[in-house]
Amino acid sequence: MVERGEPAGIRLEGVSATMQDRNRGEIIAVRNIDLEVRPGDLMTLLGPSGCGKTTTLRMIAGFQAPSSGRISIAGRDVTHVAANQRDIGFVFQNYALFPHLTIFGNVAYGLQVRSRSAGETGRAVAEALELVGLAGFGERLPNELSGGQQQRVALARAIVIRPRVLLFDEPLSNLDAKLRVSMRGEIRRLQQALEITTVYVTHDQEEAMAISDRIAVMESGRIVQLDGAEALYRRPASAFVAGFIGRANLLHATVASVSGDGVTLDIGGQKLLMRPPGAQAAGAAVRAVVRPEAIAIVSSNTGLTGVVRSRIYLGDKIEYEVAFGGQMLTIVRFNPAEDEGYLPGTTVFISIAPADVRLVD
Amino acid sequence: MAAARAWTRWRGASDPLRLFVVIVLAVLLALFVVYPLLELTGRALSDDRGFTLAPLIAAINSKSNLRAFADSLLLATLVGVCGTFFGFLFALTVERTQAPRFWIRLLDVATLLPLISPPFTTSIAFIFSFGPRGFITHDLLGINNATVYGLTSTLAAETLTYFPLAYMALRPMLAGIGGDLEEMAFSLGSSRWRVFRTVTLSLTVPGLANAFLLLFAASLADFATPLILAGNDFPVLPTEAYLQITGMFDLKGGAVLSLLLLVPAGIVYFLQRQVVGRRRYVTMTGKGRAGASQDSVAPLMGRILMGICLGIVLFILYLYALLLIASLVISFGANYSLTLAHYRVIFTEGLPAIEDTLIIALIGMPIGGLYGVVVGYLVARTEFIGRSAMEIVTMLNYALPGTIVGIAYLIAFNQPPILLTGTAAIVIACYVFRYSPTGIRTTIALLQQIDRSIEEASFSLGASSFMTFRRIMLPLIMPAFFAGLSVVFIRSMTAISATIFLVSINWTLITVRILENMTELSLGPAAAFSVFVIVVVIIVTAILNQVLRRLTAPGLRLPAVEG
Repeated sequence: MVERGEPAGIRLEGVSATMQDRNRGEIIAVRNIDLEVRPGDLMTLLGPSGCGKTTTLRMIAGFQAPSSGRISIAGRDVTHVAANQRDIGFVFQNYALFPHLTIFGNVAYGLQVRSRSAGETGRAVAEALELVGLAGFGERLPNELSGGQQQRVALARAIVIRPRVLLFDEPLSNLDAKLRVSMRGEIRRLQQALEITTVYVTHDQEEAMAISDRIAVMESGRIVQLDGAEALYRRPASAFVAGFIGRANLLHATVASVSGDGVTLDIGGQKLLMRPPGAQAAGAAVRAVVRPEAIAIVSSNTGLTGVVRSRIYLGDKIEYEVAFGGQMLTIVRFNPAEDEGYLPGTTVFISIAPADVRLVD
Repeated sequence: MAAARAWTRWRGASDPLRLFVVIVLAVLLALFVVYPLLELTGRALSDDRGFTLAPLIAAINSKSNLRAFADSLLLATLVGVCGTFFGFLFALTVERTQAPRFWIRLLDVATLLPLISPPFTTSIAFIFSFGPRGFITHDLLGINNATVYGLTSTLAAETLTYFPLAYMALRPMLAGIGGDLEEMAFSLGSSRWRVFRTVTLSLTVPGLANAFLLLFAASLADFATPLILAGNDFPVLPTEAYLQITGMFDLKGGAVLSLLLLVPAGIVYFLQRQVVGRRRYVTMTGKGRAGASQDSVAPLMGRILMGICLGIVLFILYLYALLLIASLVISFGANYSLTLAHYRVIFTEGLPAIEDTLIIALIGMPIGGLYGVVVGYLVARTEFIGRSAMEIVTMLNYALPGTIVGIAYLIAFNQPPILLTGTAAIVIACYVFRYSPTGIRTTIALLQQIDRSIEEASFSLGASSFMTFRRIMLPLIMPAFFAGLSVVFIRSMTAISATIFLVSINWTLITVRILENMTELSLGPAAAFSVFVIVVVIIVTAILNQVLRRLTAPGLRLPAVEG
């Protein structure tokens, strides 16, 4: 047994979940997932709505029983342990504050349930409120607080019991953009300071990249790739991951030739070199991913030409849509010069570094 | 979420306490809802040889019964149309004109009066106003022996009594049609009238239909107003059934007549479920910006609307003033000297009725409140076999006309195995099962506002099911309990249609005494009793409202449920 307060690992082995849907009957929300969250890590489950990420989180919490598989926390099998026996902290999307209790009452609830003394409870609650920047708000009621403050209370309520595992279900999706950015920083800071193993569910890839040690990208009830933010961005395993983490141009190409130097792709007659070489044979149809910011518009003839179709000025960057080899490329140019004038209709030369092209399944 | 539902099922599958409660409720519902209705049908549709439709066919073939049936439908239709019209007028005025707050408050208070008075208060006031010695007919116009009885006055009295229901149903509906929808139509170049016709009115159609059915059902079931005002030339089913039983001691004939009443009541009930079910599509257009368009009614039109509403309100206040005056003068229409004699009468020879009514109301109130919350919680938050059947059965006695329920109880509990006739229990049971559905629906509506994640948050913090119920759910549904209490209390003080069949020498009710006074033409005591009931109801509901306001968690809105 791990000592209380020492970070605990979470392990999911072959976990599946079936649910009743009013319209579609029985559906499989989670398919045979294996997942290991290392002690003290923050793991994000990232994916579009309906991918099974919330269901997975709710199974870890014990709100829902898996239809098969095993869940263990700190080495202890908790598959059939009720939520109130799992020693978790859960932060809900809608905060789920008890509307009839004060902020103090809300944060103190978990300690009172554990029969802590009034003095200890008072100290712990004050400390938790201090941690989330709400010292002095104890006597207010939840509806007297803003959304951001309510979410801080929910956070304080979850951490005050010093759970072994902290679970977040899209905690920031009801907040406005600026608040989201500052709150996610705060959540990360707290999580690292308290060293609590955390699973965090979101559909916002930027949020996931900003706070996670590792990210599990989910699609249709499966984990399709699990890695750090940078690895996911640089080496997406599939077109889905490439499109979900950051933006990506997906190009349909055929392999023109393979040499020791790299692979040459044929995209509508234009030749694009990529490195390192893959196992593809010449003539194979492949899909290649290129990030919009990895494409340069240059003045010298690179052999690759495109025609500008639209230009959107966004201040810090300009986004171009460029017709290239019968397909459409999005190109982002940061810190544009004042007179950058590739207007629609202009033919431009483009350049893509061989290492920035990546084949996906 | 499906996940949450599945989890609830899993969590509560083997809860012995809940199983016990469900079984107890099932037995009680079988006994006090299903059994009486079966007995009623059995008594009406049988003879020495067993089941037969002959009595029903005979009843339909009787000219006088057909007349009563047609009259009932005619009256209910007219009340439905007129009441919906006035209700809509009030809702439109309050939601769409820039009427000052004070006047809106006045409209609200005045429309509340008929809802908390005995159902025949308006009828009594009508007699004071338009009867042979009426204030308008006799004192102002000098007409002697004016006749107040008949369709017109019954219609007017019922419309005034029931249109507040339509107002309460339509007002949130109009408020829900966001001003932005109307402003959108204006921006497309529509005139005010066109916007009203094509947007506002069109979107309110389901609400109007619902209000019409609500009033149709209320009028169809109304027993006291026709008994006082309809007279001999305008017989309706509920009064005919009553006269059959009390006048001719023909229980079976009364039962058959009440079955006739069941047909239109049943049709209306199912139509209403349809309309209410369809109403969801309207709100699917999205939640509009808070506050209605202030431009949708022209200022002049707004003033005209307000004028009409104020006229109606003044008339209602006038009727209640007449009632108050009649209770304080020696003989209304003849001798206007002030006296407290009528109050002395009700507090001496009328005292048993007052005591009985208060005892019954005070016993029924907590039982009904608890029953409403428990059933509401079970229906809204748990799964068990027969859950939807239970939901429908609990609504039955509420949806059926009181006359049917009263006669059914009379037949069912008049003989062993369950002999309850003449006890207070039969009256209390009748009130609890007939008027608690408001508490049930309030509980359900309240629970729908409380996200399941609130319960899950409590579990995640380590609390047990019982702790979660006691510390989180119970305080949150307290308001529904108190709402249920006040409805059961109000109805126990004011209802008559079902319980008039159930009173006895041992246990009688104020409302029944009022009716007796009316038939004996002792109008003064009748007025004094009515004033007393209204005052008690106002005081008790004010107290309950105070408690409620303290208990309601801020941020949760107690849903308004009519009834």
